[in-house]
Amino acid sequence: MKLLVCIKQVPDQESRFEPDAAGVWYSETDVAFRMNEYDEYAVEQAVQLRENLGEGAELTVLSIGPDRVVEVLKKALAMGCDNAAHILDNDASRKDPWQIASIISSYAEDKGFEIIFAGMQSQDRCSAQVGVTVAEHLGFACTTTIVGFEYANGMITVRRELEGGMKGVVRLPPPALVTCQLGLNVPRYPTLPNIIKAKKKEITVIPVADLLSEEALVATTGFYPPAKKCGGIVLEGDVAELVDKVFVILKEKTAVLR
Amino acid sequence: MEATRQIYWNIGHGVVIPMYLLVFAAVGVMVYGFWRRLPVWCQGKRLDRFDRYDERVKRMLGEVFSQAKVTRVTDGGVFHAIFFWSFLALLVGTTLVMVQADVLTPLLQVNLLSGEVYKAFSLTLDLAGILALVMLTGLFIRRFVIQPKGLEIVNDDYIVLQLLFAILISGFLLEGARMAATELPLKTGLELFSPGGLLAGQLFTSLTAETLLVTHKILWWFHFALVLGFFCALPHTKLRHIFTTTANAFLAPFEPKGFIATINLEDDSAEQFGAATICDFSWKDIFDADACTSCKRCQERCPAYVTDKPLSPLKIVTQIGELAESNPRGKLGETLSQDALWSCTTCRACQDICPANIEHVNKIIEMRRSLTLMEGAFPGDEVRTAVSNIEVNGNPFGFAYASRGDWAEELQLSRMEHDADVDILYFVGCYASFDKRNKAIARNFIAICKAAGVKIGILGKEEKCCGEPVRKLGNEYLYQITAHENIQRIKDYNVKKIVTTCPHCFNTLARDYRDLGLDIPVEHYSTYISGLLDAGRLRLASKPFSFTYHDSCYLGRYMDIIEQPRNILRQAGGSLVEMDQNGYDSFCCGAGGGRIIAEERLGGKISAVRVKMALDTGAPLLVSSCPFCLTMFEDGIKTGGAEGLMQAMDLAEIVAERITA
Amino acid sequence: MKILLVGEYRDGRLLNSTYELVGFAEQVGGDTVMLLVGSETQLPLYSGTLYLADATVCGEYNPDMHKRLILEVVQKENPDYIVFLHSSYGWDLAPRVAAALGAAQLSEVIALADGGFEVGCCSAKMRRTIKPLTNRAVITIQAGAFAAVQSEGGFDLHKVSAEGAGRVSFLAYEPAEERAVDLAKAEVIIAVGRGVGKKENMPVISALAKAMGGELGASRPVVDAEWVAHSQQIGTTGQTVSPKLYVACGISGAIQHLAGMKKSEFVVAINRDKDAPIGEVADVLVVADVMQFVPALTARLSN
Repeated sequence: MKLLVCIKQVPDQESRFEPDAAGVWYSETDVAFRMNEYDEYAVEQAVQLRENLGEGAELTVLSIGPDRVVEVLKKALAMGCDNAAHILDNDASRKDPWQIASIISSYAEDKGFEIIFAGMQSQDRCSAQVGVTVAEHLGFACTTTIVGFEYANGMITVRRELEGGMKGVVRLPPPALVTCQLGLNVPRYPTLPNIIKAKKKEITVIPVADLLSEEALVATTGFYPPAKKCGGIVLEGDVAELVDKVFVILKEKTAVLR
Repeated sequence: MEATRQIYWNIGHGVVIPMYLLVFAAVGVMVYGFWRRLPVWCQGKRLDRFDRYDERVKRMLGEVFSQAKVTRVTDGGVFHAIFFWSFLALLVGTTLVMVQADVLTPLLQVNLLSGEVYKAFSLTLDLAGILALVMLTGLFIRRFVIQPKGLEIVNDDYIVLQLLFAILISGFLLEGARMAATELPLKTGLELFSPGGLLAGQLFTSLTAETLLVTHKILWWFHFALVLGFFCALPHTKLRHIFTTTANAFLAPFEPKGFIATINLEDDSAEQFGAATICDFSWKDIFDADACTSCKRCQERCPAYVTDKPLSPLKIVTQIGELAESNPRGKLGETLSQDALWSCTTCRACQDICPANIEHVNKIIEMRRSLTLMEGAFPGDEVRTAVSNIEVNGNPFGFAYASRGDWAEELQLSRMEHDADVDILYFVGCYASFDKRNKAIARNFIAICKAAGVKIGILGKEEKCCGEPVRKLGNEYLYQITAHENIQRIKDYNVKKIVTTCPHCFNTLARDYRDLGLDIPVEHYSTYISGLLDAGRLRLASKPFSFTYHDSCYLGRYMDIIEQPRNILRQAGGSLVEMDQNGYDSFCCGAGGGRIIAEERLGGKISAVRVKMALDTGAPLLVSSCPFCLTMFEDGIKTGGAEGLMQAMDLAEIVAERITA
Repeated sequence: MKILLVGEYRDGRLLNSTYELVGFAEQVGGDTVMLLVGSETQLPLYSGTLYLADATVCGEYNPDMHKRLILEVVQKENPDYIVFLHSSYGWDLAPRVAAALGAAQLSEVIALADGGFEVGCCSAKMRRTIKPLTNRAVITIQAGAFAAVQSEGGFDLHKVSAEGAGRVSFLAYEPAEERAVDLAKAEVIIAVGRGVGKKENMPVISALAKAMGGELGASRPVVDAEWVAHSQQIGTTGQTVSPKLYVACGISGAIQHLAGMKKSEFVVAINRDKDAPIGEVADVLVVADVMQFVPALTARLSN
């Protein structure tokens, strides 16, 4: 059984985000990169399934981006993926989710993958589109935001996270794609022998031009910090006045009192 | 007639050959006993502890004959030392008797043991015997009557104490019987030089001469048999420590304290990192178990044990010994719990006090290495997060790496990337970079240096965690990655000297980084400030205050920096009230060994215990010189209910307040 | 401009979030059409054209079937925008519809912006303005970003249904686990520190949490003192949280705590000490006694 897990390298969300020269995305200066958190759950689940399936299973990890994304591919290989596909694209951040999904589906369409894992969304773009769109392109069954996964008797059973802590139990047959949510598992910490072994695993590099044929459907025209933050104001004085001030601030600056 | 005694009196020289045969046999049994331990020790990995032979021998003789390590703890220790010296005198005396009887007399016809020499000899041995008996009684009372907490009574203790009592008492009875038949009736005054024998002889005065001779003969053989028994029992009881603990004084490492072997991460033939089974330890780690006398000094000083955590350094050592015998291929984890291993603060109190030179800390680190590197285990999820934060942002909190130098924004400090022409590179560390309380220490240290005309540079966002907490938690991989990045940066800037405010950074940069190729002098700010004061570059106005001082483990025990910070504080006008546990005996704040990034879930709070000790001095101020300690004490003061009673401050704050132009 | 709104219905009930779609459409302006896979007994307070499919037939979660229903309505109504809530229903379904239509999708819109829409990115630390390059667009809107709008005007009801089955079969709902508070996903957190004084004062904070619809969290000393359960601890040694609103009551802000809550979108801190480290991360620092300020704020919120 062939498995695929799609991952993205994203900035650590603590980084200071400054607009880039074009003003449509963040500048990479002073930004630390790591594996997208939701993708870590995807990798862990894929590796667990791969381990359960044993011999005969093959797990490929895929990432799109410039040379730096090799770091996250190596991490996924150290976690237990068998091989990696690096779709080399120095301009990946300019592509919209539709294009990213089409790149992945062009890569995957002739490979015979039966289950594809992806994060529910990226922490930087937050569109939550790529996974489902890939499934649509490939004609795979798909479900999103899973917090439980089981594969038995040729069927996938997952628990989807719904609002308010409720869960929905869903079953779907391969070929299928699932997107993974926080709470699905605890991603393993790669062991040193596996890190060393991962250095010898194959990373296939594919130029993005070989896979991309779609135009962008969405344009970004601005990238900026939210205006609503107060920026550290200090309120002092009479309690009744303070309460009024805070009440107004909460109403204006947060969605909580709406 | 000259004062002397007839050796082999009543026994006859015919006994010589069988006696020596028996002695050789007993020694043979003893050697065989140790020989049989060899394969157990040899299960461990190779480790060269036979280099620098002269120094090792010198150290061994010094430690053994001075009994210096044993007497560091008076309870038990002084008794042991006096017993040791007395027993040694008896051994030397008995050997002398044998040499006299079987070498000097038959071959050279010389009698050393006569006249005044004999009197002195006789008196010395008798007094030594009495002293040994008194000490042994003292030790007996301590173990069986007083029963100090943590001192376990095992079968060995009955055997060893009975045997020693029997040897000493039978020796005196034997002497008494001989004297009752020889010296006592003559009353030449010679008997006064054998006070023990004189006393014991009174038991036999009523016996007939014939009975006395028989009694004496029986006693002689009995005493002799006991001595043979002593040899035979030696490898199989705690008595083995006579050899193994002595050997350990020879085998102790020469590396600087706190040295941890650097793992070769490029070795792709390695299948195991750290210790998962007995065979992954070095042979010395296994031998240590045989050198242990279960004196429980390590255990009673262990901050984890004292606060009811499931760790006893003593148990770690003895369990390794038991497993080496019973199940050397078995998983250590089945006997030694993860909770115990993660509880260690690597404070080194156990190792420092150990009279047997046992290396506790590195055993724990080796086992942690296996847990971390082979199993990807963590003491808790919070540590998993902190480790991942260090990987990505170079600090355990997860703050953006680029904000590391923000604390110094208004201070007009040189960033090395812009201006590397500085007197010292200040390696700030994670706490002083990000924690508001500890940023004050960094700012105060800068103020001190500026007052002394020292030009300081910092790495800012180019600095990363030194890697100490993760290394102590066993994550050698991440440690080496961060360390190499720091070393590369530092080397890029042609740095003359590095100063740290954190003892953990200090130990790591000054010692651990050597192994990875950093050879620039590194100093802790306590000694650096001390140097500035001595050179007259810094002057302090003395303002009186009362304080107690907490020695950071990594400053005191690891680096022997104990007096300098105290002297600085005294110069600043402080009057010091010491806690009971200070200097080398300091009690950890709880943050070492990577515990700073872990939740203290088991047992009591170590920091609160230490704060209580500080409170007991009556001083209102607890001064330390370590960001980890300060953080723990700020916390311990809150959780220990000492708010308003006790304030925690750092050395730099006290000094900065008192700078004069 | 025609806007198709896809309503939300779960576990036999129409969800109120459906009305936020109407609020969004009002801001955009234009005619609205609504599609709801629900029940005749749970009809929305909505005026306009309402397409209703029976959830007992089409399923509450059956993405293949719901996609076909939407495409059928799209064919009939030819809308410019197809709008969903950015929810477990909406983000699951919207990309399928967008892919089928070859339409641009804009995710989790929080506001209208000059020439396009504003969306959050980088864990809500930043914003983007985006616009579709296709004539028709699929949009999901952030929950809570647009005011809910109900109207009694009455609607023109059309029943629709789709043929065939879906590949994804829904088996069951699992109720939310009682008690086990998942602070990591909480939107509003009221956190308690030692500044609250004593355990007996805790109900005052709980009342604020209730008034705000938030979860109760705590700093470590409070957990150590056993005022609250360990599961409520926030910080490096507890949970790491990222709510939309974080109210720190009497927390001075030890670094371990700050590291656990600094991802919060909006932080209000109440502390007597103006220089407390919590001020470094607070958007609003209220210098006041917790026990005076909090009850007053609770009373104001409850009015």
